[in-house]
Amino acid sequence: MTAAVLLDVVHETRYEYSAPVSLAHHLAHLRPLSDAHQQLQAFDLDIEPPPSHSRDGSDALGNAERHFSLAAPHPMLRVRASSRVQLQPRFADLQPASSPPWETLAARLRYVARAPFVPELEFALPSPYVPRLAALRRFALVSFTPGRPLAAAAIDLMQRVHSEFAYKSRSTQVGTPLAEILEHKRGVCQDFSHVMAGAMRMLGLPVRYVSGYLLTMAPASGAAMKGADASHAWVQVWCPGTRGVPADGWLDLDPTNRLVPASGHVRLAVGRDFGDVTPLRGVIRGGGGRHTLHVRVSTQVVKPALMESRTP
Amino acid sequence: MQPSLSQSQSLSQSQSQSQSQELTQGSFAFDVAGGRDDARAAAHTLLSRAVPAESGVWDELRDAAGALRPPWLRFARGLPLPPAGAEIATELERRVGQVAQRIRLDGVTHNVFSPDPRPDPRHGAAATDTTTRPWSLELLPLLIEPGDWAAIEAGVVQRAQLLQQMLADLYGQGPHSQRLLHEGLLPPALLMRHPGWLRPMIGAQPPGGPAGLRLFIVAFDLARGPDGRWWLVAQRTQGPSGLGYVLHNRLVISRQFPDAFRDLRVQHIASSYRRLLDTLEQAAQAVSLDSGDGHTPRVVLLTPGPYSETYFEHAYLARYLGLPLVEGGDLTVREDRLFLKTVEGLEPVHGVLRRLDDDWCDPLELRADSALGVPGLLHAARAGNVVMANALGSAFLESPAIQGFMPAIARRLTGQELLLPSLPTWWCGESAAWADVRGQLHDKVVRSTFPAAGRTSQLRESGAAAVEDDPDAWTAQGRLRLSRAPIWGGQVVSPRPALVRVYAIADSSQAAGGKGWHVLPGGMTRVAQREESSVSMQRGGSSLDTWVLTDGPVDTFSMLPQRLQVDDIAQRRRPVASRTGENLFWLGRYTERTEQLVRLARATLLMIDADNDAPPAVLQALSALAVKTGLAPHGVPTLVQSAQRFERALLAGLPRADNSADNKADNKADRTGDGSDGTASIAFNLALLERASTSLRERLSSEQWGLIRSMREGFTAAIHSAPGELPTRANALPALDRLALQLAAVTGAQTDRMTRDHGWRLLTVGRLIERLIGLATQLRAFLDAQALASVAGIELLLELFDSLITFRARYQRHEDLLALADLLVLDAANPRAFAGVLRRLRTEIGKLPGTPQTRDTLLQLLPAAGSGITLESLRGADDAALVRVLRELSGTLAASAAALADRVGERFFTLAQGADQSV
Repeated sequence: MTAAVLLDVVHETRYEYSAPVSLAHHLAHLRPLSDAHQQLQAFDLDIEPPPSHSRDGSDALGNAERHFSLAAPHPMLRVRASSRVQLQPRFADLQPASSPPWETLAARLRYVARAPFVPELEFALPSPYVPRLAALRRFALVSFTPGRPLAAAAIDLMQRVHSEFAYKSRSTQVGTPLAEILEHKRGVCQDFSHVMAGAMRMLGLPVRYVSGYLLTMAPASGAAMKGADASHAWVQVWCPGTRGVPADGWLDLDPTNRLVPASGHVRLAVGRDFGDVTPLRGVIRGGGGRHTLHVRVSTQVVKPALMESRTP
Repeated sequence: MQPSLSQSQSLSQSQSQSQSQELTQGSFAFDVAGGRDDARAAAHTLLSRAVPAESGVWDELRDAAGALRPPWLRFARGLPLPPAGAEIATELERRVGQVAQRIRLDGVTHNVFSPDPRPDPRHGAAATDTTTRPWSLELLPLLIEPGDWAAIEAGVVQRAQLLQQMLADLYGQGPHSQRLLHEGLLPPALLMRHPGWLRPMIGAQPPGGPAGLRLFIVAFDLARGPDGRWWLVAQRTQGPSGLGYVLHNRLVISRQFPDAFRDLRVQHIASSYRRLLDTLEQAAQAVSLDSGDGHTPRVVLLTPGPYSETYFEHAYLARYLGLPLVEGGDLTVREDRLFLKTVEGLEPVHGVLRRLDDDWCDPLELRADSALGVPGLLHAARAGNVVMANALGSAFLESPAIQGFMPAIARRLTGQELLLPSLPTWWCGESAAWADVRGQLHDKVVRSTFPAAGRTSQLRESGAAAVEDDPDAWTAQGRLRLSRAPIWGGQVVSPRPALVRVYAIADSSQAAGGKGWHVLPGGMTRVAQREESSVSMQRGGSSLDTWVLTDGPVDTFSMLPQRLQVDDIAQRRRPVASRTGENLFWLGRYTERTEQLVRLARATLLMIDADNDAPPAVLQALSALAVKTGLAPHGVPTLVQSAQRFERALLAGLPRADNSADNKADNKADRTGDGSDGTASIAFNLALLERASTSLRERLSSEQWGLIRSMREGFTAAIHSAPGELPTRANALPALDRLALQLAAVTGAQTDRMTRDHGWRLLTVGRLIERLIGLATQLRAFLDAQALASVAGIELLLELFDSLITFRARYQRHEDLLALADLLVLDAANPRAFAGVLRRLRTEIGKLPGTPQTRDTLLQLLPAAGSGITLESLRGADDAALVRVLRELSGTLAASAAALADRVGERFFTLAQGADQSV
């Protein structure tokens, strides 16, 4: 089997304003999650200029967040998150065919009076960036044929997103509506994740959006990965009862790179869509109306491993 | 799978339950024999002129036998007596006019939206999307009998308690929270798809610990069904509207029928507002004590601004409750605490009575495109540092779908059945419920479960397909034929479908008997304009005062404040928000600027009219001045070149009101008035004046506000001979005369009738700065054109300085330059001389807030004493030397005044300036 991987990630965001900002409030989701498969060994969030106030907390979904504000005029803001993360390999024994038929799960989640509460249902509902669209249902049903095991159908959907959509960096913006992505069949990792989530949610299946990082090179193959120069995004599909998936039932799928993340993906935060887990956002006063934004992510292997990811 | 019947059970539940709730409503005849003849006449009028309600609905006025219901008989007996010989119908008609007039005078309005339901005022376009309409109020009140009210009150208190508990459960923290979800009493999809379910508020406790309140005001829309029973139609839990209109409606209608009001023992409503304030202040006090701000908390009323539908009542309510009216831009969050930006710096805020919907409240964590909110507010609320009334996250309770689950929730949380039934409701997301109702949509209304763009929509025919496509998103409700309230108008009493909004107010005092809630004995009754159209003020509906009758004593409490402590007094001095200060400053400047323009326009037109041989130098001075002040466009031929063309250009500019007035940049624009075509002068400035005052409604007396409004309307109407035609001199002169009088009244109101707080001081400083700039500009223009060599020039300048009479009295006919300099420059006793203006300016600046250093910095921009020159220094100067000195002085003073305006802005208004943007 594969050994653990130790990674260093530096995520730097820099805003340069055309005039000084007099007051800024920011919210950051930049601290990687810690769980059985991912241990955060060191973390530092360096903010320049130093904020006048800052407070750590966690959101309703358990993601770490930091609120900070700057009350003194500043012409630029630099936020650098440095993390050292140890990743345990995941999904090595995944058996997609062992999943229950997808309809079974969808039926279980439909409301009947006095039914037991399944918190994962929240991720089967439309969300601000992932609305309901008839086209999404049609797209999903090609993969979700009657009786097909859930994980197998989801992997098939991921492969179709990968093959039918063109990856074009900067082709879309945060605000580009999902309908437009579907129509033009191109986008970036965030859009692909929204498409997958939206398609499966139309069938009543829970999908989470994952914000995180990706190893620049897959050490085993040396193949360049897409989405590694910035923060990355992929999805988690809920398939409880599938062999090779952790007890919580969430299976990671990366439609941008068409793979099941094994140990090259660092998870920052999970949410319904991009809006829940934006790495860094803010509201500023002043700033002169224009600003430039630079984001740089570098990921380095401290302790190399044998194998990273496998393409199903 | 076993089909669930939870909601259909709830349906049968509410039906069977309402049947057990028999009201003692009979159709007995009331004995009027003992009444006076005129009472009989009044009753007869009401009856004989009543258009009968159609069968199958409850008639509020008459019983099944066609007789007046008892309270209406008593009402008729208390009707005012018409003068001898006159008909009571005529008297009622006269009163309709009085009501309309009162509403007009008080400026009671509401804004009606065009297509875009939620225009964002800061992003322009809003002005054209909203129309301001006078508030519509009917003469006759709706009467609710004690027995009915007791049932409503009990039902509403129970509902409010329940909603409070639901929020505590769903947003609560700990192992026992979210029971409603875990026990399947509330569908997760209904809650979690609702945009009003705010995840960041999960686990956040309101200030005051576990017992802290999330709801302070809940409004319930009630209607009476054909059988006389009351039903719950909808509930409002974010920032229910209407409490201001309720108050004003009561004020107007109770005065129309003072006898009936007393005789019917109508419950007073003032103490309900007191209780609201007490509850708010008590909750906010926990915050202010916690944060070391003492025991007198500061509570503000947060409005979306002048474009919101109900802005009038925000201002009205703020004034009545004594709370500062603030917009999001007036508040700021620092270190997780909320502050008000005032001209004295940041002042802590401990409680917010909000009329701003959830999703607009914080662009950082909610709608990023909201310019109406306060970045960081959510975090401050989550940290327990501010009381939000109501708490953020309460909006999902407004979904109609909730009603389908209330009966079971009531049983689970309180062990009781609901006292007040809601309309039978089926949330279509539950397949068993949808199966029940899908074949019977003809007598149902299908509403959207979740609001889109802040509104709920309603499915028309063929709704089934839309429901099947996304069942969660739709909710079917039974139709209720609303009872008909009597409306007087056009000499008849007509029956109109009525909806009554009642208000539950959180009240932890003993008076509430430990129930935690008080119900305002009254409410907002709305009627549809036509039969069967929906009941909404947005759709042309009208409102009624709502009289709740009592058998017991009437609570005659009036909103007289309780005895105040010294600390309260200090705290209650109204802070002047930076934005308010800025608006007041510009109100002062625009008022003065318009006065000067009017005087200059009159003088110019009279000069042309006089057809005399004014020296060219004087005409030159006037022309230059008119261009410089924006009365005439750049490049127009001067009065010397072509008096006719000059006059035409000037007249054309008078009524032009450019709409870009809302742009703050315009405030600081050069005094050109600007207009893409030619120039926009007086109407333009009047519009700016009105704009500044609109944002100050809670500070200005309604007289001053009304005066400002009618000034613009009157001027525009008076100056136009015919639409699209150029004003004539014959129209313009009387219009200007009238305007000059009105401006004097506005100035009088500003000088004499406003509290001399920092706000008033900024207004006065604004006016004096503008006066100094204007006078200096005028003197300079006359000197530049060498127009003071003639008597005509001197007289004209004296007139512009409004000092001709004094001059005549003091110097008789010595029109010489030194005398002119003495009166217009050196005389500190002349309110329009440089020295006079500067003296007052120095005094008022000396009283502005801030440190002595701040004030010194401002004062240093002005001459230390007098006008900057002395009479002595002019000894022996010949006219040429005098002209040189005066030219230099007027140039310096105009520049200093402009610099002073900038510095005042930097010092006092910067907190208010700039807009938030998301990055």
